[in-house]
Amino acid sequence: MPTTVDDSLFSSLDPVALRGSECSCGATVFPALGSCPVCTGVDVTDVALPTDGIVWSWTTQHFEPKPPFRTDEFAPFSIGYVDLGPVIVEGWLLGRTEWVIGEPVRLVLTKAWTDGDTVVHTYAFEAAS
Amino acid sequence: MSEPIYIVGAARTTFGRFDGEDNDLAEEAVRGALADAGVTWSDIHFAVGGTNGETKPDNLVSRLGLTGLPFVTVKNGCATGGVALMTARNGLLAEGRDLACVVGYDNHARGAFNASPARYGIGDWYGQTGMMVTTSYFALKIQRYLHEHGIDPRTLGYASEKAFAYAADHPYAWRRKPVSVDEAMDADMINDPLTRFMFCSPDAGAVSLVLARGSRAFDLCDRPVRLASVELRGRRPGSFEVFSTWLSPGERTSPSIDAAKAAFDSAGIRPADVQVAQLQDTESGAEIIHLAETGLVEHGAQAEGYLNGDFLIDGRLPVNTDGGLLANGEPVGASGLRQVHEVVRQLQGRADGQQVPGGPSIGFTHVYGAPGISACTVLTTEGE
Repeated sequence: MPTTVDDSLFSSLDPVALRGSECSCGATVFPALGSCPVCTGVDVTDVALPTDGIVWSWTTQHFEPKPPFRTDEFAPFSIGYVDLGPVIVEGWLLGRTEWVIGEPVRLVLTKAWTDGDTVVHTYAFEAAS
Repeated sequence: MSEPIYIVGAARTTFGRFDGEDNDLAEEAVRGALADAGVTWSDIHFAVGGTNGETKPDNLVSRLGLTGLPFVTVKNGCATGGVALMTARNGLLAEGRDLACVVGYDNHARGAFNASPARYGIGDWYGQTGMMVTTSYFALKIQRYLHEHGIDPRTLGYASEKAFAYAADHPYAWRRKPVSVDEAMDADMINDPLTRFMFCSPDAGAVSLVLARGSRAFDLCDRPVRLASVELRGRRPGSFEVFSTWLSPGERTSPSIDAAKAAFDSAGIRPADVQVAQLQDTESGAEIIHLAETGLVEHGAQAEGYLNGDFLIDGRLPVNTDGGLLANGEPVGASGLRQVHEVVRQLQGRADGQQVPGGPSIGFTHVYGAPGISACTVLTTEGE
């Protein structure tokens, strides 16, 4: 199995899906929590989030973030919020540094950095077309 | 109806880089505010100090005098100044004291504000993947806001130009070199759509206020400014806050909306009545958003307001007349009190920089910050 930045973010790695939690009130959050910040209840269950969504907002990180940021070699990269339906999730937008709000994207697993011989993976979104 | 609370003394330091001790700044501000009110430290019954740093505000008594007064310390991020002011107001009202001193200060090094995921209850992965960056949060928020409300991104440049134009005339501001709209738009991109001239930076500074309860204020000050209301609110579901791994779909809420509405309701003042305002402008986009969230301008009407000059000194609603955070930087503990200091001076007709003409009598201040809190005040010189 691939090494990830944090295994608790994922409900499965092949195919990749993010693990959120859904409350009986209908609220969905990411990553999964043991209680609901929307209704204050504790009747929550883990769910696999949808893997297709649309870009809700985006920016490109033009300067290298300070530690604890890790990378093999910095290049400007895009971050977005992706509307997956029940919840809007923040993550990398891969492959470009210019995006349009509303364009379709899908979840992928991608390299975050290399640790010795091990490639450490994180989740990201790429253009769906 | 509780007794009115007035601001009878106000002082600030110059903001910017500072080599001395934090307490040097704080002491300078407190002594300035005491002198402005014509009182001494031994006259003060209650004190509140706010800082986001490592020093202890309550230890200022070792410099100011061991009078035995109760001294409360506040640490509420960017809203620290507003919370300190509210705490002082509550202390005067609840305990029947007459005079309180509030001080806020910080002395941040260049490039401070490097947040650690653990402090916010987020896993290490969030920082390791480069998402725990405050500038990207602001960029993502204004990018969405401009899209939803059809606002020309060039409005961001107008907000920057205005801030530095005010600061050029303000002796206590930090960045006092004018910046044109084109210069702001063409500067190095930090996080799309925000450039280098659209962000404030952490720096150093201190502000202090002296508050008085009831008629005592008019013995101390020719033109006391009434703290007509001060309200603090936290985030509800649907708000878009820094370091959010997820957002709720649907209606957007904001602690700024809630705090501003509460402050206006409590004071019995309408947003349309405000004649001078201070809004949290951590970056240019924040000012655009907060103009509408506080109720001062309709969502989507901000661009026209900047083009009309509405927010300039002779406009309909002068905003951030000391240059705001963009030009003063953000010493976190002092920032909210800087806003109140500027509005107090405007309402008293003795602004340090550009003076709003026509004798304004109603002012408003708004601070906002992590992890989703806002404090607003309404300040008046009416009802004397």
